[in-house]
Amino acid sequence: MADMKQPACVSCGGAGLCGGKALATLKDGSWTTNPLAVQMLGICSALAVTNRLENSLVMGAALIFVCVGSNLIVSLLRKAIPTRIRMIVEVAVIATFVIVFDQFLKAFYWDMSKQLGPYVGLIITNCIVMGRAEAFALQNPPLLSMIDGLANGIGYAVILAIIGFFRELLGAGEVMGFRLLSDGWYTPNQLMILAPGAFFALGIVIAIFNHFKGPDPEEKKQ
Amino acid sequence: MKIIRKVFDGLQPLFEDGGRLKTFKAVYEALDNFFFAPSARTPNAPHLRDPLDLKRYMSMVIVGLAPALLAALYLNGPRLLAMIIVSYMAGGAVEVAFAAIRKKEIHEGFLVTGLIFPMVLPGALPLWMVAVGVAFGVFVGKELFGGVGRNVFNPAIVARCFLALAYPRAMSGGYVAPGGPGRLLEWVGLDAVSGATPLGLAKQGTWMDVPLLDMFLGRIAGSAAETSTLAILIGGGFLLMTRVANWRTVAAVLGSATVMALMFCDSLTEVIWQLCAGGLMFGAFFMATDPVTSAATNLGKVIYGVIIGVVVMLIRNFTGYVEGVMFAILLGNIAAPVIDEILYKVRFRRLQIEG
Repeated sequence: MADMKQPACVSCGGAGLCGGKALATLKDGSWTTNPLAVQMLGICSALAVTNRLENSLVMGAALIFVCVGSNLIVSLLRKAIPTRIRMIVEVAVIATFVIVFDQFLKAFYWDMSKQLGPYVGLIITNCIVMGRAEAFALQNPPLLSMIDGLANGIGYAVILAIIGFFRELLGAGEVMGFRLLSDGWYTPNQLMILAPGAFFALGIVIAIFNHFKGPDPEEKKQ
Repeated sequence: MKIIRKVFDGLQPLFEDGGRLKTFKAVYEALDNFFFAPSARTPNAPHLRDPLDLKRYMSMVIVGLAPALLAALYLNGPRLLAMIIVSYMAGGAVEVAFAAIRKKEIHEGFLVTGLIFPMVLPGALPLWMVAVGVAFGVFVGKELFGGVGRNVFNPAIVARCFLALAYPRAMSGGYVAPGGPGRLLEWVGLDAVSGATPLGLAKQGTWMDVPLLDMFLGRIAGSAAETSTLAILIGGGFLLMTRVANWRTVAAVLGSATVMALMFCDSLTEVIWQLCAGGLMFGAFFMATDPVTSAATNLGKVIYGVIIGVVVMLIRNFTGYVEGVMFAILLGNIAAPVIDEILYKVRFRRLQIEG
């Protein structure tokens, strides 16, 4: 993954801002190895909170915040963390950011916090955040790690928003609480609000995503 | 017949490679096969010696469905015909689209799915819901799995389940109160008197109010073709005699349901009442026996049937749902491949030990 010939990032004393790897990292995280559509991580929250677009957006924002923050701190500490207890340290860092976001929601957006229920707190166990800290931040300089966290967060958030949009539109005839499909002729499809609808929506979105992305270059070679 | 053959031969170049309507080759072939037996022979082994090919097989099922269909028309009126036409058109469109994209033939399996699906719906369901439901059932229940013969779930039940979850009010309120011969010319709309099904009444505690004879003949509210136990027995008996439906599945479903009913009910009348109620008979004869989604091994068919029969009775008596045949068959469908797998392994191991 990391090309050694490239100059290192400015944050660790090398030449050039991230040595030109910023764009590649951004594309990798949000498109080529999209956490939801390609790696199939974080499915649980993607199914649970996407019944309304608003919830999906807040959840996406939460994940971007936590992922960027935890990647930054883990990357800064990467030389100080003993290998044997690295997971515990990572979880501690992640949990800190999650609690900050959770308390922020509870303080300023109480209704939203109630709607999301336990799912904000459960970001602590979200495979995406943990995976990025473990697989990327531990080996890479802070700025690049932040970009990686941002890319994966965006990759997650955009798909969540798409699913949330269609589930709310079809399931309630509304988008962000505004009625788009009128009562007169549109009967809300209640399946889309229920959990099975989330599975169908997620499956179809992933299929379309992978259709446009094309097969993995590594798979193509074989 | 010669005239039809001529028409087909004249049209053929249009659908061959280079023709203008190449995309719709599948439609042409399906129609051709419908009017004439396919001339193609299987080029290599295995050559089936059975005169029943898939199309004839499906035709048998349709013959078996006929009594229940006639009874449904008698009780529900001509609206059912409209539902069947809509079902064939919407589901057929999805089928044709997939056949065109995959450049494969259209399979005859849809002839049965498209007919069974409206038969298990409430008689007053809006027609657009029929269209949405069958399109979803064919798309998710069949085509996403790779088409006929590869589907895990019975597409008609997937479609019905989709409607039951998506539009619960229309589905539970769309049952038509039974009508007599006068119904034959009457269009039953949504404004028709909707009747509570006997099982619905049973949930409210007034279940013995419906006489047993009415249950048997079908003079009750319910999904279009599931009410008349008599008609289902005639058609189902035909399927059993021609061996299109496997008797093991049917016997296992009905047998286990009877045993379960004996445990819950006080008298024999109640047991028979339970067997006639809801979609149990229709499900046992026409839906659980689907050769694709049921278990393949003989013992597997029995286990699969028992799962369905037991789950139906459990859902009816211990959950908030009024009827559970739909969910029971879906559960059976999930279990079927696993049952087969286990039985194969056991068999294989025994052979290894012996040999």
